[in-house]
Amino acid sequence: MPTMTYLQAISAALRDELRSDDRVLLMGEDIGVFGGAFKVTQGFIEEFGADRVMDTPLAESAIIGTAVGAAVVGMRPVCEMQFSDFISCGFDQLVTVAGKMHYRQGLAVPITIRLPSGGGFSGGPFHSQNPEAWFMHSPGIKVLAPSTAHDAKGLLHAAIRDPNPVCFMEHKHLYRRIKDEVPEGVFETPMTARVARPGSDLVVIAYGAMVHVALEATDDLDGASVEVLDLRSLVPLDRAAILDSVARCSKVVIVDEANMTCAAGAQVAALIAEHGFEDLDGPVVRVATPDVPIPFSPPLEQAVLPSVERIREACRELLAY
Amino acid sequence: MSSSRTESVVDVRMPQMGVSVAEGTVVQWRVEVGDRIGADQTICEISTDKIDTEVPAPVGGVVTEILVPVESTVAVGVVLARIASEARDPMGAPDSAVPSPADSALPSPADSALPSPADSGVAEAPHVRADPATATSGPNGAAASAEASAPLPLRSPRGYSPVVQRIAAEHGVDLSQVTGTGRDGRVRKPDVLAFLAAAAQAVPDAPLHTESPYRPDSAPPPGLGADAAGQATVLSRMRRQIGQHMKRSLDTAAHCTTWIEVDMSRVEAARARLGVTGLAFVARATIAALREHPALNAWLEGERYTPHAAVNLGIAVSLGADGLIVPVLHSAHELSVEGLAAGIGDLARRARSRELTPDEVRGGTFTITNPGQYGSIMATPIINQPQVAILDFEATVKRPVVITDGEGNDSIAIRPITILGLSWDHRALDGALSAQFLASLKRNLETFAYDQ
Repeated sequence: MPTMTYLQAISAALRDELRSDDRVLLMGEDIGVFGGAFKVTQGFIEEFGADRVMDTPLAESAIIGTAVGAAVVGMRPVCEMQFSDFISCGFDQLVTVAGKMHYRQGLAVPITIRLPSGGGFSGGPFHSQNPEAWFMHSPGIKVLAPSTAHDAKGLLHAAIRDPNPVCFMEHKHLYRRIKDEVPEGVFETPMTARVARPGSDLVVIAYGAMVHVALEATDDLDGASVEVLDLRSLVPLDRAAILDSVARCSKVVIVDEANMTCAAGAQVAALIAEHGFEDLDGPVVRVATPDVPIPFSPPLEQAVLPSVERIREACRELLAY
Repeated sequence: MSSSRTESVVDVRMPQMGVSVAEGTVVQWRVEVGDRIGADQTICEISTDKIDTEVPAPVGGVVTEILVPVESTVAVGVVLARIASEARDPMGAPDSAVPSPADSALPSPADSALPSPADSGVAEAPHVRADPATATSGPNGAAASAEASAPLPLRSPRGYSPVVQRIAAEHGVDLSQVTGTGRDGRVRKPDVLAFLAAAAQAVPDAPLHTESPYRPDSAPPPGLGADAAGQATVLSRMRRQIGQHMKRSLDTAAHCTTWIEVDMSRVEAARARLGVTGLAFVARATIAALREHPALNAWLEGERYTPHAAVNLGIAVSLGADGLIVPVLHSAHELSVEGLAAGIGDLARRARSRELTPDEVRGGTFTITNPGQYGSIMATPIINQPQVAILDFEATVKRPVVITDGEGNDSIAIRPITILGLSWDHRALDGALSAQFLASLKRNLETFAYDQ
């Protein structure tokens, strides 16, 4: 099985889909000749041509709006937001038009929006956000957030083949840092959670880049048996897997890189409070970025993002409770 | 007036011991008029149709009147006695640090100069604030100091987490017995699991002979034989009540008794593993059979027949020579074998120490009696009205039995066998149903996976 980086896995998934399905086309800013801001589509325009690897104007609402129209007439567009932050410019086309199309008119909108998200590289407040919860709150849109190269490829295949609009959160910080074995060819990863490491004393629930921070923080935590649950999919949210972990471990720390209020982890906490109450042996603890913009300054950014130390401390506190 | 001692007369009434109890009989007075008594001191013993209990003094003071003579039966709420209490007016407490004219008129001025411990919350406050050692212990002055010096408060049940409470309920664990290793001695899930594991190990292997859940504390005193021969005595109140109830049941119900033999091999193996009595297994299997045949989990009152979904299981507990009582394990269908064992053990223990409340001896929907400790093997128990059946579980005895294997070959094996007897009310049901119930019970006991 070949080993790939997270970024290579995403490129491979796109290439496999373009090769196997004529309906698939890519749209985005500088994804053609330039190969994309992060070089995900490097060399694509040479293989597939400018009709299928389309450079677009700097207009996210136009990108998504065009994709919605193309999807309705049978195409399977994959849109790249250069940075996930920029999706706010395309919000109406995604949330109001794409998300409600099936409800209003019975039409499927099989579009995938790739959202390079997250901080940790001093990108500042406009290039570091984690906007997944905006779309979790909006009916009709699926939200995926892989943490490994394996899942990035499998979930991107699943997203492109899904009949619904899918927001595919790909964490920029993982692009070239994460490398793991990825099966060859097309495979779909189910939109369910994955136990990244089994344990029995406490479970840390995370997704995206925070899965790796959680694994490092709890790798050797005073001998405690700490489970790490990688959500992988935020919509649909794998309620059974979450409640199963809670039933086994009874203590829960939920980590979000996003700002604390109404983040994905808030939904997970609410789910546990309502349906896992009888299994709890302590308060549901959340670790997230405080409700502030992501600072440009490297030390300040490191101070706000959930760190190995903060997660470790939260786990220790809860284990001792 | 507000801070002075006031003498008030407090009525002691016939207590409402349970929702079903309307009246009680004074059995004995423990105090006399003029006695000085403390709060909660027992002043008399009363007996209801369900239970005997003691009446504690609601306040300390002097007994001024005893209004109900021994052997009199009065309704709940009737005044039994009066106590003149010496108590501070609680509303006046904040004034007590400032001597008032009324204070100085007290016979013992020392009382106000040196506050008693009961006054410390207010009266000592200035001292605490003035003490630099304690003043630094917290930002809130007196209140913080008092907290810091006080022992850790006992945790209330509200302090237990949901999972701990759930495990405790499932296994009948008394959480006050569990040592907590969490913050401030908090009981955590691993603590209660460790407690359960230790409890399972601590129980020695029980002998094969099925034990009754209760044991006389000492050798049973001789009955009306031996020493007492020839001396007539009057039956105790409890004996009279038992007699009335039993006779009334025989007069009321059309009693029939059906027996079935049960191979207890599986139960014996499981109970050695789980460390609980055979009765808990019979109870568990009975509950499952009752859920299958709810017609036996019922009341028949005159012509009104009421089957119940919930199983409130009565367990006959011997009180030695005094008699017998049937405490009820409410909602027993929600309990595991271990939970039943713990619940039965608790009821039996409290029955013997006369700590049951009236509500704990009422509401039963089915009863098990288990007098097998002396080796008897069959009986015809009398139904506990208004229930429609009662199960008798006697000794388990090793017997040679014929075992047929899968290919139809017979052989003789030694197996622990018990004979379960079901007395049932022919007014409510017929023999076929009682036989089906016993067959379910037998199947449950012989095939249950008790670990699950």
